[in-house]
Amino acid sequence: MTKRSASGLSRRGILAAPLVLGMPSVIGRAFAQTEPLRFGVADPLTGPSAIFGLDQMQAVRWAVEDINSAGGVHGRKLEAIIVDHQAKPDVGIAVVTRLLQVDKVPTFITAFSNVVKAVAPIANREKALMLSVGANSPDIKNLGDYVYTTFPLADVDMRALGSWLYKSQNKRRAAVLYVNHETGTEGAKVFSAAFKEAGGEVVLNESYEEQRSDFTGLVLKVRAANPDIVHIHSVISDFTAIVAQMRQLGLNTQVTSFQTAFNPKMIQELGKASEGIIVTAMAPSAEDNANVPKYLERWQAAYKREPIGLPYTQYFHDAPYILAALFKHVLDQKQAVTGENLRKALLAIKTFDLPLTNRITFNDDHTVNAPTYFWQVKDGKFQVVGKL
Amino acid sequence: MDLTLDLAAQLTWTGLASSSSYCLFALAFALVLKVNRIWNFAQAGLMVVAYFAMFIAFRWLGLSPLPGAILGAITTILAAMALEYWGFRILRQRNSSVLTFFIFTIAMSQFLIYMAELIFGTDPKTLFPSIIAPVRFVGPVVVSDWDLIALSLTVTLVGALWLFLRKTREGKALIAVSDEPDLAEMYGMNKDRAYLVSMALAAILMSAGMYLIGTKAAIFPSTPLSQFMIFAVIATIIGGIGNIFAAGIAGIFLALLQSYSILVIASKWQILLLYILIFVVIILFPQGVKLKLGKRGPARKAGQLPPADDVAEKAS
Amino acid sequence: MIEFLLTLAILAGINVLLACGFNLILGYGGLVSVAQPVFYAIGAYSSALLSMKLGLPVPLAMVLGALIAAIASFGLSLPSLRVSGDYLVIASMGFQLGIIHIINNVEFTGAASGLSGIVSAIESPWRSQIYAGTIIAICAVTILAIRWLVTGPYGRAITAMRNDEEVFASLGRDAVHIKVTLFAVGSGIAGLAGGLYAHYFLFLTPDQYGIFSSATLLTMVVVGGAATVRGPVLGAIFLTVLPEAIRFLNLPIAVMAPLQGVIFTGLVILFLFVKPEGLFGSKSGGGLDAWQSRAMSSSMRKGAK
Repeated sequence: MTKRSASGLSRRGILAAPLVLGMPSVIGRAFAQTEPLRFGVADPLTGPSAIFGLDQMQAVRWAVEDINSAGGVHGRKLEAIIVDHQAKPDVGIAVVTRLLQVDKVPTFITAFSNVVKAVAPIANREKALMLSVGANSPDIKNLGDYVYTTFPLADVDMRALGSWLYKSQNKRRAAVLYVNHETGTEGAKVFSAAFKEAGGEVVLNESYEEQRSDFTGLVLKVRAANPDIVHIHSVISDFTAIVAQMRQLGLNTQVTSFQTAFNPKMIQELGKASEGIIVTAMAPSAEDNANVPKYLERWQAAYKREPIGLPYTQYFHDAPYILAALFKHVLDQKQAVTGENLRKALLAIKTFDLPLTNRITFNDDHTVNAPTYFWQVKDGKFQVVGKL
Repeated sequence: MDLTLDLAAQLTWTGLASSSSYCLFALAFALVLKVNRIWNFAQAGLMVVAYFAMFIAFRWLGLSPLPGAILGAITTILAAMALEYWGFRILRQRNSSVLTFFIFTIAMSQFLIYMAELIFGTDPKTLFPSIIAPVRFVGPVVVSDWDLIALSLTVTLVGALWLFLRKTREGKALIAVSDEPDLAEMYGMNKDRAYLVSMALAAILMSAGMYLIGTKAAIFPSTPLSQFMIFAVIATIIGGIGNIFAAGIAGIFLALLQSYSILVIASKWQILLLYILIFVVIILFPQGVKLKLGKRGPARKAGQLPPADDVAEKAS
Repeated sequence: MIEFLLTLAILAGINVLLACGFNLILGYGGLVSVAQPVFYAIGAYSSALLSMKLGLPVPLAMVLGALIAAIASFGLSLPSLRVSGDYLVIASMGFQLGIIHIINNVEFTGAASGLSGIVSAIESPWRSQIYAGTIIAICAVTILAIRWLVTGPYGRAITAMRNDEEVFASLGRDAVHIKVTLFAVGSGIAGLAGGLYAHYFLFLTPDQYGIFSSATLLTMVVVGGAATVRGPVLGAIFLTVLPEAIRFLNLPIAVMAPLQGVIFTGLVILFLFVKPEGLFGSKSGGGLDAWQSRAMSSSMRKGAK
């Protein structure tokens, strides 16, 4: 991982590098007009969450390359300034402050609920358009005028999962385990509510601390509660440990989780024990989107594997396309490229057709809707088993 | 939740097996505290060294378990001895304060964690690609290969440590030095050598513990500091500072307590219980804690030499 | 850029307050606690919640936050008089982690999700300028007050305690009184720093106040020079600016954070060995080791008898 990133992502140079290859066809314009259109990207590239962040940045990089080699926006290139927030709020505040005040970007993309909440006040104050991509917390819709999410919030997929399990899978008794931080607590809350509303019973609701490795007591408690479904809302390493310890203690109940478990490494570590696990995804599968197979081939060609957290990377990949459309709108109107104008453009356009996530429409409450897909591990691979 | 007999049996067996690494970490911590008189928070850093040395051995060099684990242990022993020789020894000579030791050991752990992140990346890693061990039923109880390995490894190491400390000359010297460093030196025992030996022993215990952890779950470079260390510290305190094997038993007790108490308390409050335990044990029973040190003659601060007049007193 | 420098100045000012308060406890009080971040957290959360839930004006909420932190310090300082040295380090760690764990798990504080929607102290286009100015003024007043405290009549008592606790202990309750007071003042300053942070950055999470934060603050005090007035001030400024300066080196981004960590902790270790008295302490005055070994061993000898 380090090898790749060390050569891959430098603070700003790297995205500019491919720009040189596809030099603008319309060179004759004034300097100001050939200057790249810059935007910020803040994501965890180190720390425990970097496992997602690094693949998400690869997706952004490819998208920017593609947009630029297709001519950019009115001949102007996009340039992403990537910064590392380590999924820590205080670091997020520091790096986003720099993005907006030193690098002077009018807009930026970020993810991870706790950081999104921490930096939202800065975006509102600086009037910079902030796109949250892949933060799960349902609170995000209340964070202010300049904060939008391009990614359906946790209430969408966890709601869908709760009722789908009851109605289509005939599950009646759920045990809910979740990691005690932002994403875990919020996700578990929404899931439990939805499952109960559909008519099911939540027979166990337990949290645990991050980075724990022994779950014996927890697993035995699950066994005693005798559920017919176990939903685990977790970060990645604890998910595999819980499932491994469940299976080894002879507990073969159906397990469900959300998009962070959408991870080829999880299948490798669990081997056969991963069979049957169901995870949600809010990005379209190959059946519904013709570009997804090509995108997956690109990963195979570059890294010989699938991306970690595929659905998240799809949304990250498409975020620069949204920004490109906004930049274009602002330039067409001969306006200055500011956060204020980009926000107005977003409200004016509202609906975007995107390469990997199909059509997205921003609601008045700053969120978007999307169907939820259910994927199941079968023969060592994720396969789509349902959609709601 | 009802506690059936089957459930209790399973909880005890699996809890005991998973407590083994906590027992080893607690032993290592208590040993260094007793002999070297240092609250060695750098233990988390050494655990990181052990883990990634084994990671290289298994994943990069493709070694089989035994040679890989031995390579890991040797690397950790060297690192631990280097820490004593170039770190603790110098601070000790300078009569450094408790806080200096605290900052040094914590900073050392963080330094090694950051180094590991720099070299290996920050994603969670297991020692082998799969973390699933074969299982069998013994009566109603599920017994996995991992449980058997963990228990036999721990029993062997604890037994060996006990024999070493009680039966060998080197081991007896350790105890003598920990009881009366200066007196022991007058009788021709080499204090510095004893400090190095105890670090090496602690390194072996840590490596074994990390091997067990890494064959069961994925860990981040920061996990030893954020999770395992605090357990070792609490176990050492409950074991009554100065009693190595009691700390090991306290480690097992704490792990079992966590397994059982989940039946009564939501797991998120369990950790609070541990923190309260630290605070209460130290504040309410400082005499209990101190007596243990008192028995060893004039109490000194960890890592501090007694003033010269103390030594003279004792010698006379 | 100016705006960015102002934000940095605000952070540095907050760290100066934290380090100075911590230094009162560690350097002058001789109480080896690591729990300073917990009083920072108590001040931040109290002030934020008082203004959000009760609608108190922000400055009043900040002052109350500082008071609450000072009062909370008795929870640690009074029992801790019974123990010293290593045991206090460990007990204070338990105290700190326990309270942070509670904040992390009760709904009232926003739990692990963090507390957002905090009232801003000032709404103005000159917000950062005003805030930075205010913080610098507060720092100046605090530093002068500390200077007065440790050099005035009270300071002579502290020096007496520092030089020979045994003699000083014969004065009876005064030693206890001084220690507890220093602890409360130091914690109150941390609480004020917390309020200042909360109403500028407008978001709090419990994991900002863990043991890593203790290590960073300790480093500021020690690198600067404990038991001196200027040491922690300069240490705090130096260590706030350093990571930002490293960030301007344009290193590959995915190694930046660990590399920053390696440099940071590497420097700390280097300092401990090469300049244990701190950057700005002198061999005779200041530094953690200047007096503690004597005072400690004498108090421990008493304990053993």
